[in-house]
Formats: sequence, C-alpha cells, structure tokens
Amino acid sequence: MVDKIKYPQYKFETILSRNQRRHLEVDDNLMIEIESLSKSFGKIKALDNLNLDIKKGELLGIIGPNGAGKTTAIRITCCILKPDSGDVLVDGMSIHQEQIKIKSMIGYLPEEPNLYERFKARDLLSYFAELYGVPKGEIDSRIEELLELVNMSHRAEDRINTFSKGLRQRVGIARALVHDPQILIFDEPTMGLDPATAHNIREFIRELKGDKTIILCTHYMDEADSLCDRVAILNQGRIMDMGTPQDLKSKIRGDLILNIKVENPCWDVVKGDVVKAIEGFSTVEDVELVDNQYTISLKSKNDIKDIINVFEGNILSVNTKEPTLEDVFINSFKQ
Amino acid sequence: MKFTTITKWELKETLKSRKFLTIFILQISVLFLMLFVFNAFITNIESQEGISITPSLSGFASLSVDDEGRLFSKYINPELITVTHASFDDSMKNLNSGKTMAVVLVPADSLDKIRNIDTIEVKLYLDQADPKRSVVRDEVNNTAKILAITLSNSWIDSLTPQNSTPAVVTEENTGESLPMQIVTKVMLAILLFLPLFLFGNMIIDSVVGEKERKTGEILMAMPINSSDIIIGKSMAVVGVIALQVAIWMGILLITGFEIPNPLLVYLLVIITAVPVIGVTVIIAAYSKNYKEAGIGLTFGYVAIVGILMIPPLIYITNKSLISNISPLTMVIRLFSGDVIPAWHFLIPLGFVIMVSAITYWISIKLFQRDDVVFGPRPGLIRLILEFGGLKRRGG
Ligand SMILES: Nc1ncnc2c1ncn2[C@@H]1O[C@H](COP(=O)(O)OP(=O)(O)OP(=O)(O)O)[C@@H](O)[C@H]1O
Ligand SMILES: [Mg+2]
Repeated sequence: MVDKIKYPQYKFETILSRNQRRHLEVDDNLMIEIESLSKSFGKIKALDNLNLDIKKGELLGIIGPNGAGKTTAIRITCCILKPDSGDVLVDGMSIHQEQIKIKSMIGYLPEEPNLYERFKARDLLSYFAELYGVPKGEIDSRIEELLELVNMSHRAEDRINTFSKGLRQRVGIARALVHDPQILIFDEPTMGLDPATAHNIREFIRELKGDKTIILCTHYMDEADSLCDRVAILNQGRIMDMGTPQDLKSKIRGDLILNIKVENPCWDVVKGDVVKAIEGFSTVEDVELVDNQYTISLKSKNDIKDIINVFEGNILSVNTKEPTLEDVFINSFKQ
Repeated sequence: MKFTTITKWELKETLKSRKFLTIFILQISVLFLMLFVFNAFITNIESQEGISITPSLSGFASLSVDDEGRLFSKYINPELITVTHASFDDSMKNLNSGKTMAVVLVPADSLDKIRNIDTIEVKLYLDQADPKRSVVRDEVNNTAKILAITLSNSWIDSLTPQNSTPAVVTEENTGESLPMQIVTKVMLAILLFLPLFLFGNMIIDSVVGEKERKTGEILMAMPINSSDIIIGKSMAVVGVIALQVAIWMGILLITGFEIPNPLLVYLLVIITAVPVIGVTVIIAAYSKNYKEAGIGLTFGYVAIVGILMIPPLIYITNKSLISNISPLTMVIRLFSGDVIPAWHFLIPLGFVIMVSAITYWISIKLFQRDDVVFGPRPGLIRLILEFGGLKRRGG
C-alpha cells in the first residue's frame, strides 16, 4: 500500500565511493559505513543503493514508513542477511569478510525480540554470554550487573514464558548488552510498551549514549527527537533526508506552527480568500486547511497578531507550537 | 568448537523439560510393550528356568517323516521342528489335512545305498500355503548336510582302522535357520535401532522452531558459524538418542536377551544416529514450518528405513560384502555369532561417515542462506541447480 504512494524525491549530496573517500581522507571517526547497499526480496526492492555513515559514539535514529527497509538495513549490518550488492564497513571491517568479528561487536535487539520461552532469564543470559565468548569467570558477575541494570534481579529465576512484554523487552536488552558491545542496534525497542516502561527504556538508552555507537529504529517521533544525535528518514530503501532533529524540523517546516480553529463552518465560502490573505504575510511558509482547522507554518512570530485578525473574531481556539519530528514525518510523506 | 556450547544448553534445557521426560519415558514403555508383543508372537516356554522372556522356538514347525532306519530324523533339530514318524501314506494324509507342514520321505534302501556309496534321494513335500515352510526347507537341507558329513567321516574312519578314536558324531552348530534369524535376530536388532527414529521431532523443534518462533534472528546474530548451530543442535539430539539406546539396551540385557558384544552393538547404533539426524536436519533446515517438516520427515524416514533394512535382507540371502554398508547388517551378524573380520566394520563406518558428511554439509549450506532461513525461500529445483553449480544465486 505504502509502496504505491508517490513520494517527493530529495536531492542527494554527492556520495563518494569507499575508495574515493579513502583517497581523500581516512575517517577514523566512522563506526559504520553503509555503502551502496541494495537488497531485493523477490520482486520487492527493500534497499535501493542505500548510503549512510554513523560516527563513533553517535546515536543515529532511523525513521520511515512501514516497509521502508529499516529492518533490512539493520539485519545486513548485523550480518544476518546478505546484500545483493554494496557493503557495510563496521569499524573498517567488511560484512563480506569479517562476519564473526563484526557480530561480536554488535548488540542487537530485533524488532521481534523473541526469546527462548523455556529458559529462565538468568540461564538465557548465560547461554548468550557463552555464545558471545564472554570469559567463563566473568559471566556470573556480568549477568548480575545487567539484571540489576534492567531491574530484573527479582525475576531472574523465572521462565521467559511467564513474562509480560515489557519484562521480555528488558531481558532482550540485557541480552543485547551481555558481551558489552561497542555498537548497539535497537529495532523499535519501545514498540507496544506502556508509556512508563517505554520511558524507562528510553532513559536507559540515553544513559548508554556517548559510550556506545547506537542505531535506533523507531516509529515514535518524540523518541527520535529527544534521543538521537542525527535522524535519517528512510523511504523505499533510500535515505530521503538526514540531519539533526533540529535541522530536519527547521528545514521542512517553519520554526513555529500556528493552529487556528474556526467557529463557523460557513467560513468555508470565503476560505479561498482567507488562505490567500494569510499567504500574503512574508513570515508565512505554508497554509493548510483540514476540517475547520488552519495549520500555518511561520518563520517567526512577528505577524501572528495580524494573521489572527484576518479571521475577524470567528475563532474557536488558537495555539502555537514548535514543529515536531512528527510534523516533519507527516509532511515528508504527504502527497 | 562453539557448537559444544549449543549442544550443552540444548541438552540441559531438554532434559529439564517435564514434557520431554514424559515423552522419553513413554517411548521406553512403548518399546517395552513391543517386546512383549514380540515375545507373545514367538510363544515362549523355556523349560528349566521357568518363565523367561527370551524367545524359544520349540514347536515352531512340524514335520512328518517316513524314515525306517531313523537315519535322518535323528539329526533334525528338535528345538525347532516337531517330528512325527508315520508311513508315507499317513504322512501325506496329515499334510493334506494340515496336521503337519511337511513330509520327508527317506527311501527304505538308504542304508544299503550308503554302504555302496550311492546317492540317496530324500524327498521333501511342502505345504506351499504355509509361510513357515522355508524354515522346514532349511532345516531339512541342514540335516541332510550334517548327515552327509557324518557319514563320510565314519566312512573315512572305517578305511583307516589305525585311527583308534571311534567315530564320534560331532554335532555341528549350523545356527538357526535363516527365516528364524529374521524373526529373532533381526527383530531384536530393529528394536535397538528404533530409538533413532523417535527423536526427529526434537531436531525439527530445535531448528524449525527457530524460524517459527522467530528466535533464529538472534541466533544468527551470534558470532558463531552456521555449522556450529547445525552441528550443535544435532549433537544434542544424538546425545538424547545415545541415552535412550543405553537405557533400552540395559533393559534388554536385564530381561535376559543375549546381546553379544553389547558395547560394539551400542556404538554401531549410535554412529547410525549421526547420519539419520543429518537427514532430519536437512529437512528441518529447509522447512518453513512444522507442518512441512512433518511431511518431509515421513518421506525421509521411509528412505532411511529402506537404506538400513535392505542391506541386511541382501546379506541374509547372499552374504555379499556390500550389504555390510548398513550398520544394521553388522548388528545382525554380531547377534548371530558371526565371526566378523575387523575390517568389515570399516564398511558401515565409511558409509556412515560419508552420508553424515554429505547431509551435514547440505544442512549447513542451507542454513547459511538467508533466503532459506528468512525467505522468500527458493524452490527445491532451483536450490538443487544452485548446489550443483548449474545456476548462480539471484541469477
Ligand atoms: N524475508 C522477507 N521476505 C520477503 N519480503 C521481505 C522480507 N523481509 C523484508 N521484506 C520486504 O522488504 C521491505 C522492507 O522491509 P523491512 O522489514 O526492512 O521494513 P521496515 O522499514 O523495517 O518496516 P517496519 O517499519 O514495518 O518494520 C518490505 O516491503 C518487506 O515486505
Ligand atoms: Mg522493521
């Protein structure tokens, strides 16, 4: 469904190939370099020449509609899927050559964090610690520490199948951290969690920030906004836009959004004139009318009073807000 | 060597599961039940020691003999065949009325003929409708052979009087007749191999379960090779089989079954488990879900049973060397007290190693492919072409 919608095409900065860049500069600051990555599933093109760099210690958010290719890009980076073409360099190592080394550098929380139901939480963590090659002597103390960290010490001896979604997610996160990886990849870590649990997990990710390089895929825009250093908007397997949340917000919309609800639906008759009148102000970037609400993007608040006057008192409510990433997202995928 | 971690944890978690233990014990009970059915089939009355569940075969077949000199009937194995003496006419009446299964006619002038070193012609009449007729045929043939050997020995002795030792009629142990071997040795051997087929579901659950329950993704993200996953999981199942066969053999030994060289028999059964699980794990690696795997398993096991069972049948009929490729043949040979040259064991061993290498190689190759594990899964023919190098992936 989503695939059928025509999206505006954004211009790309010229992206140099790996070799070209090597000639120009050796960037030690990059932890993950995704280079011309393509992947198809049968006829579905999940990734289409994707390029993306992630710096050491950076928290990069990836947002995009369902089916954009977020999970696919992540799975390729984790060496779970093989790309049709392109490469990913993790700390300079290629996914085509150093799979085992790359895998041991990454802690991955999948979109569907299914765990072995029969296992007790502690056993599950020991099992994965052993698989990650955590030294035998360190496993127990490491697990103790992690259980403490995700606040699961009291349920350590219970089986996974007795856990609620939030508890499972906590075990999942502890599992991803069990080998103290340099890179963490979270695919929708707060999906389906209650606001309080989601908040806890966000705070947890915030604590990890700076120490680790983190990729966070999410559909929650406020989450991306508040946590991420940079956000990449992915669509149909390509990067549509990328930048700090602030950049994105100011780039696509004005700095301020004015919402005006009108009282009288008869206003419809003259609405064309109203829209025109508002567009006449130099600070107005965009006007949109849905039902009885005008959404006006402004560059500054200088003209607010005059704009309100246009409505001649026929107003139910007025409010202003800063644009959010959600506005950016919705605006990006508006037809 | 990361696969040992997987094996260890799979085994640990499996043996902890109450559901598994219930099934495990149930399986042994069913095997035990089969033992009784098997024994009831071969009516057992073992004289001195009272009731024993070791099969005894007395009265298995009946034979009516017209043999005036009692020359022939003396050598017939009474444990196997109940012999009645009657004139030829009466014997034939018994045969026709079903009172006996076969009639042997030893000519009245046999003794004279023997003295003149003439051929005696023993005639055997068989009831073609009786499935046990071949037992009688074998026994009569054996007896004729023993008789011939005995006679020629005594004849040689009579020619060389300086040989003072009297002609002792040494009873030659020719073993049970072949069809009886099928019934006793083969059945027993099959009972020992049965546990190999009881744990297919365990490997299916362990491999297909990773796909169905979507736990495979984190396993694939581990810094280990696909081979570790496949071999680790398979060895856990081989371990469980080894445990069950050990318990099972223990029960058989305690209940009085004779298993010659039990350690060797045990090893033969266990090494067979490796390629059997290898075939199962191919099916599991390719299957999308339990249903598919279940269907695959049925076909796979029919094939395996064929490969295991046909060589012993060939061995029984013509003892050809190639029939030793099945470890079942070797076990049957051990059971029947055959003296087996050590190098013969290399044949099933080589076969087992070869099949294991091929099956695990295929399974690992399958499991390495993200399209097989995560979809969209390529068709079987396409996969075969790709494996054979006739087609390039994605091409
Ligand atoms: N194993 C697969 N088999 C077939 N198609 C697949 C497979 N995995 C992904 N796809 C397709 O590839 C495209 C990208 O999927 P992907 O899961 O990467 O999207 P996503 O951005 O993570 O979406 P969501 O936000 O819903 O998680 C989708 O059209 C999806 O249907
Ligand atoms: Mg996804």
